[in-house]
Amino acid sequence: MRPTPSLELAIRELQRISDAALASLSMDELLRELLERIAAILGSDTAAFLLIDEVSGDLVAQAAKGIEEEVEQGVRIPMGRGFAGRIAAERRPVTIEDVDHADILNPILREKGIRSLLGVPLMLEGRVIGVLHVGSLVRRDFTEQDRDLLQLAADRAAIAIEHARLHAHRQVVEAMQRALLPAALPVIPGLHLTATYRPAAVDARIGGDWYDVFELGRGKIALVIGDVVGRGVEAGALMAQVRTALRAYALEGHPPAQVVELLNRMFATMRPTKLTTLAYLVLDPEGAEFTLVSAGHLPPIIVDPDGRARVLEISGDPPVGAFRGVSFSERRMPIGPGSRVLLVTDGAAEVRGEPLDAGLERLRVLSERETNPRALCGAIAAGSATGGPSDDDVAVLVAHVQPLPEQLSTRWPAEADALGGLRHLLRRWLRGHGASPDETYDITVAVQEAAANAVEHAYAPGVAAFSVDAEHRDGAITVVVSDRGSWREARGTNRGRGLPLMHGLMESVEIVPSTDGTSVVLRRTLGADA
Amino acid sequence: MSSVVRVHEERFDGTAIATLEGELDASSIRDVALKLRRIVENQSLRLVVDLAQVVYLDSAGINLLYAIGGELRARQQDLHLVVAPGSPIERTLAIVGANRAFPVHASRDDALAAS
Repeated sequence: MRPTPSLELAIRELQRISDAALASLSMDELLRELLERIAAILGSDTAAFLLIDEVSGDLVAQAAKGIEEEVEQGVRIPMGRGFAGRIAAERRPVTIEDVDHADILNPILREKGIRSLLGVPLMLEGRVIGVLHVGSLVRRDFTEQDRDLLQLAADRAAIAIEHARLHAHRQVVEAMQRALLPAALPVIPGLHLTATYRPAAVDARIGGDWYDVFELGRGKIALVIGDVVGRGVEAGALMAQVRTALRAYALEGHPPAQVVELLNRMFATMRPTKLTTLAYLVLDPEGAEFTLVSAGHLPPIIVDPDGRARVLEISGDPPVGAFRGVSFSERRMPIGPGSRVLLVTDGAAEVRGEPLDAGLERLRVLSERETNPRALCGAIAAGSATGGPSDDDVAVLVAHVQPLPEQLSTRWPAEADALGGLRHLLRRWLRGHGASPDETYDITVAVQEAAANAVEHAYAPGVAAFSVDAEHRDGAITVVVSDRGSWREARGTNRGRGLPLMHGLMESVEIVPSTDGTSVVLRRTLGADA
Repeated sequence: MSSVVRVHEERFDGTAIATLEGELDASSIRDVALKLRRIVENQSLRLVVDLAQVVYLDSAGINLLYAIGGELRARQQDLHLVVAPGSPIERTLAIVGANRAFPVHASRDDALAAS
C-alpha cells in the first residue's frame, strides 16, 4: 500500500532509528532508545524486544518499555509457542485484539493489564533474530498501517541491532587480542626490539599468531614467534596457554630444545589442541650467538652487519602437537653486533598458490632495503611482501643487536633491577675490548659494587639515576660510576664488603667527591694481575 | 627485571643442600635469602650452599652468606660452600675472607663426604 502523508512523517521519524547517533550506544542503550521512539510513533503503551538466544534458540526479553518486568525476570519464550513464539516461527506479524481470548504464554502481559497486542518479526538477511511487539492498555484494533509501520521499524531496528552486535564483538576480539600480546617489550640495553601484530584483514575473529620477548637471566633474551593453526576463540585461548607454558618452561632454565619438547608433551595432555608452529630463539648478545629451535615455523631472516640479508637455512622439526615424543633440535649460530633478526608468521610472506620460497625471498629483499626496524615491521604488516594486506593475521618481531660505541656512556635508574642490564652491557663492551673472561668478571663486579652503592644511597627514591662511563686507553680500562649522592659505605654486621671487593679486584679505586655528587673511578690494566 | 637465580633443594641425613644457579646480585638476593632460610630445618646439622653453577656473585651475595653463616652458628649448625676451583667466584670469596670463614669444598661429593 502507498504510505499516507502521516505515515511518511512517521517513516521519517523511523529513519532516525538507524541514525549514526545511535551507532555509539551499547546494545542495552540502543534497544531502550529504539523502544522509546517506536512507542512514540505508534502511540502504544508498551513495547518490547525479544531476541533469539543463539545457544538455546529461545526468545529472551532484552528490552521493554511499560513492561520492564519482562526483562528483569528474564522471560524466555520457546520458538513457536505463545504470542512472540508464533511470530518468530511463522515469520509474520500477529495481532491480538483481546488478550483475554488469546494464547499468551507470558503472564506479565496479562498482569500489566495489556488488552491488545501487535508483534512483528525482526528479520535480518532472511533469518529471524527476534520479535518486536507493542501493546495497548485499552482495547485497540491495530490497523494495517500500524502493522506496516511496526514492520518498517523492526527492519531498521534489526540492522541497528546487528551493527551494535558486530561492534561489541569486534571490541571483545580486539581487547582479547591485545591482552594476549605483551603489553610492552622489555627494555634491554644494547638491544633494540620492535614488534607488530596485525589482525587478519578479512574477518574479526581472534587469530592464533603471537610473539613474545622476555629475559632469561645471564644476559640471555628469549624471542618467540608462533602460530596456532586456525582462528577464533579456541585458537586464541590455546595460543594464550602455549605462550604462558613456553615462558614457564623457559624460565625454569631448560635448554631451548627441551622447552619445546616439554611444550609438545603438554599438548598431549590437552583437549582440544591444534597444530602450532613456533620459532624459539635464545639470543645471547654477550656471547655473540643465538640458539634456535624451529617447530615447523618459517625460518628467521638474519640481516648481517654489512646490510646483507639471508634466510636462515634450517631443516626444521615438526610443529608442536603433531606427534608425541618428538625430540627437537637446537642450532647455535654466531650473531655479531650490528646484526638484526627478523621473525615472522605465515601472513607476512605467504601468498596462496605460490611457493613459500618466493614470499621469503620478497621478505629478504624487503629487510635488506628497509633498515629502520619500525618501518620494516610496518611495511610487512601492511603486506609489502605479499602484495597487499594478508587475509591471515601477521606477527613480526625484529631484534637489533646494536653495536656498542668505543666509549661507553650510559645512564641508569638508581634501582637494584637496573644492575643486571648494566652487567650484561658492560660484559659485552669489555669482551669487545679484548678483556679476558676473568678480567671481565672482576671489572664487572667492581663496577656493580660502585653502582650498588649509588642505588642504595640514591638521593631521592624514584627519580634518582647514576651514570657509568667506560673507556679503553693505553691497554687500561677506566670505568667511572657517578651519582648525585655522597659515598657512604654500607653499615651493619653483614654489610660493607663492597669497598674491599673493589680494591681487591681493581688496580686502583678512587672515590672523588664533587659539588653535585660522587664519582668512583675504577682502573684496571688488561693483561696484568689486579 | 631482577636477575634469575634458581635454587634446587636436596637433603641427605642431616645435611641440607641448596644448589644455586644463575646470577646472584642485589636484585635477586631477597628471594634467595628467603629460600635458603626455609631450607634449613631444625634437625639439619648443616647447610651446604653449592655455588658451582653461580656465574655472578658480588658483595650482596657474600653478605648474605655471612649472615646465614652467623645465624646457623648461633644454632650450632654449620655452613659449607661448594666452589669451583679456579673460578672467579673463588677469587671473589678469597678477597673478603669467606674461604677462611666457612669450609669450602671443590665439589658436592666432597662436601657430603666431609662431616
